[in-house]
Amino acid sequence: MDRQLDEVPCGYLLLSDEGEILSVNKTLLELLGYEHADLVNMHFHQILTKASRAFCQLYFFPLLKIEEKIEEMHFSLQKKDGTEVPALIFARRKTKEGRFTNECIIVPMLQRLEYESELLKARNIADDALKEAAATNAELTKVLEALKVKQEELVKLNKQNEEYQERITKELELAKSIQGISLSVPFCNEEISISAYYQSSTELSGDMYSFYKISPGKYGFIILDVMGHGISSALISMSLRSLFQMLIMKKASAAEIMRELDTQMHLLFRNGDGIKHYCTAIFLTIDTNKKEIEYINAGHPPAVWIGPNNEVTEFKATMPPIGMFEDLNFPQKSFSYQESGRLFLYTDGVTEAISSKALNLLLKEKEPSEMTKDKIVHFLELDEEMAIKVDDRCFLLIDL
Amino acid sequence: MERTIRQRNNVKISGEGAKTIIFAHGFGCDQNMWRWTAPAFEKDYRVVLFDYVGSGQSDISKYDKDKYDSLQGYVQDVLDICDELQLEDAVFVGHSVSAMIGMMAAIERPESFDKLIMIGPSPCYMNKPPYFGGFEKEELHGLIDLLDKNYIGWAKGFAAMVMANEERPSLAQELMMSICSTDPVIARQFAIATFFSDYRHELQKVSVPALIIQCSDDMIAPAAVGEFVHQQIPNSTLKVMDAAGHCPHLSHPEKTVELIREYLEALM
Repeated sequence: MDRQLDEVPCGYLLLSDEGEILSVNKTLLELLGYEHADLVNMHFHQILTKASRAFCQLYFFPLLKIEEKIEEMHFSLQKKDGTEVPALIFARRKTKEGRFTNECIIVPMLQRLEYESELLKARNIADDALKEAAATNAELTKVLEALKVKQEELVKLNKQNEEYQERITKELELAKSIQGISLSVPFCNEEISISAYYQSSTELSGDMYSFYKISPGKYGFIILDVMGHGISSALISMSLRSLFQMLIMKKASAAEIMRELDTQMHLLFRNGDGIKHYCTAIFLTIDTNKKEIEYINAGHPPAVWIGPNNEVTEFKATMPPIGMFEDLNFPQKSFSYQESGRLFLYTDGVTEAISSKALNLLLKEKEPSEMTKDKIVHFLELDEEMAIKVDDRCFLLIDL
Repeated sequence: MERTIRQRNNVKISGEGAKTIIFAHGFGCDQNMWRWTAPAFEKDYRVVLFDYVGSGQSDISKYDKDKYDSLQGYVQDVLDICDELQLEDAVFVGHSVSAMIGMMAAIERPESFDKLIMIGPSPCYMNKPPYFGGFEKEELHGLIDLLDKNYIGWAKGFAAMVMANEERPSLAQELMMSICSTDPVIARQFAIATFFSDYRHELQKVSVPALIIQCSDDMIAPAAVGEFVHQQIPNSTLKVMDAAGHCPHLSHPEKTVELIREYLEALM
């Protein structure tokens, strides 16, 4: 070997195809701590770590054979004292005197390795982060899919709900018309003229009125307001109405009628587990022959009587609402009138919309009952447009 | 389907024989490693070469890191090619890890193969006393580490590859900087699947005759491992070549061809 190659500042090796070291320069010998005789004719493996030997068999020799050159391959050399020296190797396969030889340049890379190790570390961190991101992404995709399924379920449920709502609305409309039909039909003769108004706040109302001609010249009226509104109140008012119809046909007295209604309220909620409804009501009979009105007012807003000279008489409560207390008395009051007059029965929904004062003024105008009714209804409708919450409303206007 | 598997695994068919001989490359390389051996069989055989998904010029977009997390994914590659080419009684030549992959395929589908040629096989690279695999665990990690260090030059932007390889079937070409180069991420995963595998318990299940070609001085699959494989596979023949290294088909192609021929002819 010429002196220049021997002292060039990098390792030089000449290998046979079998990996035998044919020649080695001084620089490499010094780097590894070997003498010339230690390495010549030895296998290349002699100066490699175990991992590098395997790597060498996997890559170095196969690649060298196929491509006839190696560039920048990273190896770990093993010094005589056992310590490692990371190095880069470059190699060329050549024919020399009829046999193949492989010329190798070896460059130690202690500092560069640190830099590369840092890069590798960073790469592995990035790789892990990427894996994590991919996992998170997969998780999110799963969640999204689950969400989609839930959403579809919700849409389906919503549709079912809509169908259900539609059915319920239909049912309620039917119930409402039944409730409307069950109300007594106003009539008018030479003795008496009746106008009626009935409006529920929701589909069904807890208000109810009914009247009946008991005998010639004798009429029975009831107006009642079951606490609350909606379906439950409507059911109670309907049951009270049936009872009332039956009792009045049997010509029961006012006290008997009220007692029965009260009993019915208590019976209804006998097993009510604390659910208790009550009901305000006025029952009155008008005898046009005797010109006498008898009444019981169970906690209901007073009925208003307007005499011929616009004198006002109120038929105030004679007892608490029915269904509220046990063992009540049912005191009856009577009132005699001279000539004609106008009687106004209503539920509190009416006076919530129109003040009693305004109402009295309307009632005092000597107009046909239908016309007065229209005026009151007009006020009620105005209020309905403005009010946030509207109560059930009904009234009876009776001209004698 | 037909085109997909052929393209996916870059299947190359040549030769004139009625019987098929299929060559499977080992870890870290591709079908090019058969360039000095496979042509010798073209006169008498239909010669099939291919690249595993992720290697050589395979369709890298088909790489699924869950599927190829163990050698089983590569076994499936072989079985897919068997189905595709309707292989029956073929000769399977597998180098290194491919000897194990071919063995697993032959256990699963014995009708497809009638002989196994195993070049430098190792069912387990790690020493598990009393079994001698040739490597301590740390040494294998050192090997993976060297692999990492040698790929560092191409490592830029490879994080994106893992995510986006579906859209980049041309990536394999881009990475063909060296004849045997593979995507470094895939190579690393293949290396781990290979060097940490343990298929010792499968050897006895081999039902077809097998030839084991062992280099006398092989670091990767030492002679003792070749002997172990021979003992375990019931109907096997062991041929030890006086050669150093793990790739006799590259270092001693003529001798390798001769051994395979002799074996096949003797069994005919």
